[in-house]
Amino acid sequence: MNRRYALEVRQQMAWYWQALIIAGSLILGLLVSGTILVVAGVPAGELLNEFVILTLFDAQSLQSVLFQASPLIMVGLAGCLAFRAKFWNLGLEGQMIFGAIGATAITMWDIGSPAIRLPLMMAAAMACGLLWAIAPVLLRLKLQVNEIVSTLMLNYIAINFLLHLMYGAWKDPKDAFPYSPKYESFELLPEFGDGLSMSIPIAIVIALVVLWFINISRAGLYLRFVDKSPQVARSVGVPVAKTILLAVLFSGALAGLAGLMVAAGQEGRLTHSFYVGYGFSGILIAFLARNNPIAATCAALLIATLFVAGRSLQVFYQIPFAMVQLIQAVLVICVASSDFFIRHRIRRVQGGE
Amino acid sequence: MDLISSWLGNTPEFAVPFALAALGLIITEKSGVLALGAEGLMLVGAVCGIGAYLTFEQTAVALVMAMVAAGVVSLLFALMVLVMRINQVISGLVLVFFCQGLTTLTGTLMGWTNQPVPGLEAIALWPLSELPYVGRFFIQNVVVYLVPVIFLISVWALNRTTSGLRMRAVGENPQAADAAGIPVLGYRLAAIVIGSALIGLAGAFIAVLSTKLWISNMTAGRGWIAVALVIFARWSPWKALAGAILFGCIEALIPQLAASGIKLPQYFVFMAPYAITLGVMIWVAISKRDSSSQPGALGTPFIREERT
Repeated sequence: MNRRYALEVRQQMAWYWQALIIAGSLILGLLVSGTILVVAGVPAGELLNEFVILTLFDAQSLQSVLFQASPLIMVGLAGCLAFRAKFWNLGLEGQMIFGAIGATAITMWDIGSPAIRLPLMMAAAMACGLLWAIAPVLLRLKLQVNEIVSTLMLNYIAINFLLHLMYGAWKDPKDAFPYSPKYESFELLPEFGDGLSMSIPIAIVIALVVLWFINISRAGLYLRFVDKSPQVARSVGVPVAKTILLAVLFSGALAGLAGLMVAAGQEGRLTHSFYVGYGFSGILIAFLARNNPIAATCAALLIATLFVAGRSLQVFYQIPFAMVQLIQAVLVICVASSDFFIRHRIRRVQGGE
Repeated sequence: MDLISSWLGNTPEFAVPFALAALGLIITEKSGVLALGAEGLMLVGAVCGIGAYLTFEQTAVALVMAMVAAGVVSLLFALMVLVMRINQVISGLVLVFFCQGLTTLTGTLMGWTNQPVPGLEAIALWPLSELPYVGRFFIQNVVVYLVPVIFLISVWALNRTTSGLRMRAVGENPQAADAAGIPVLGYRLAAIVIGSALIGLAGAFIAVLSTKLWISNMTAGRGWIAVALVIFARWSPWKALAGAILFGCIEALIPQLAASGIKLPQYFVFMAPYAITLGVMIWVAISKRDSSSQPGALGTPFIREERT
């Protein structure tokens, strides 16, 4: 047999080639997504207008992109932290739901004076998100229970618990929809400047804290050991279990905070479906960013643009929000595939053997 | 006891999707490919089954097209894990997300949501169907009766045919299989497509024969429960079938409880299958059964150029 081409493992590749390949794959992903949108009924000529111009060059949309980005940055960072500990935390949605439930509990029961209400809600959101992450991580560490399944099962339990509250005890009697009563004005994340939400600076500060945690703190150093090889880490005396526990609980707390950002930042109340799309986006953001907090912040901005554009598509063309999920999946498939071309090369082999 | 009789009668309807999805997962995973995409592929089977029925009005055609559709979509997964060598966990998750988006979009844009379909007539297996209490268990549609046959054929193919044994060799030790001249990627591709077609059938069963309509994300985590089921069953098809019947019993109990007038908080009842799955996983972990039955190369990509 005369094989003309052979696949080889590439040892190294210059960074600019890598960047070019990743950019190329993103463009390919966007082209595929554009095609899907055209098939779904968006006029081809309107695509650029809808996505790029209306979303990024309009001050108000740009604000909503930044606004949308903050919870996405939180779930993205939460994903980064857990995945660095080799823990597939697919429970971001459940942790987010419990974060928002914790924050809403503070408002429902009027705990604390108005001045300290918001910090108390943030603490409650982080604590509840963290608590919802404890069971799967302990089960994994003590009993080797597969965390992919356990965290997903806990999501479904959290969703049903949220519905139980929204259709039951916490339903706003004045509203036909399954929503909690509106938060008081001092329970909402305040705005500053020209209508920018406080959630943006909070997200940036948390991103810096995660950056410090991963790159500078002792736990972050341990985490890098665990990420590279848990066996080696254990034999050089790194407290592997404690490091994984810490990273996953941190991840749960951030997901909880993301829940608060949606409830107290965007909706102004707890709703029955506020979490939709976030858990999945957090995982994909962390994957796209290769668990790097700065890259995750950038990826979250990209995904936020998609969210905002997706909502306007929903309004103008009646395209379901699931389109956003489909486009995200297409982008991730393309970017993940680009890794193949970075790690391998196709070499022409002289025939005639 | 009317209650027990109708509970037993409804069990197969709930058990069949778990059984078929778990069998599909076992077939794929025996070849060494970690398959997490069941939730997504079931949705593909479900939406395509309904779509095909609404178009052709033939249940058999709908079921076959659902299997074909899931097989075709699984080619994307095969491309990711076999050709592009992307992490199999990520590939499985992305497949689920991709299918969730795709099926919701297709269902909505084609107007297939909430369109009822008639399903299949139940056939009574006389004289078993005349038995007291358990009689209703033997009045089921033809697909339910086919499930044991599908299991028998699959187990026979996995354990008794050359292809089946080669496929398992690929899953246990791809390097050795490669050295023996077995096309590793070819067998993995076949395992992915066949397994996914069965998972697609499981989804179509839910939509076309059980719920009899399409709602977006209607599988509601059953694909993930099937993933858990494969772990409890230790990759054994018969144990998976037993587990599927157990879960079918639990799911069938939910509408029974509602019908019998027992007042329970509705959403806590809906939580039950997930909580029980978690409980069973913990129980299996505590009883510390050996993990030797897991395919040796599960989750590791086969990269010929990097063989040592």
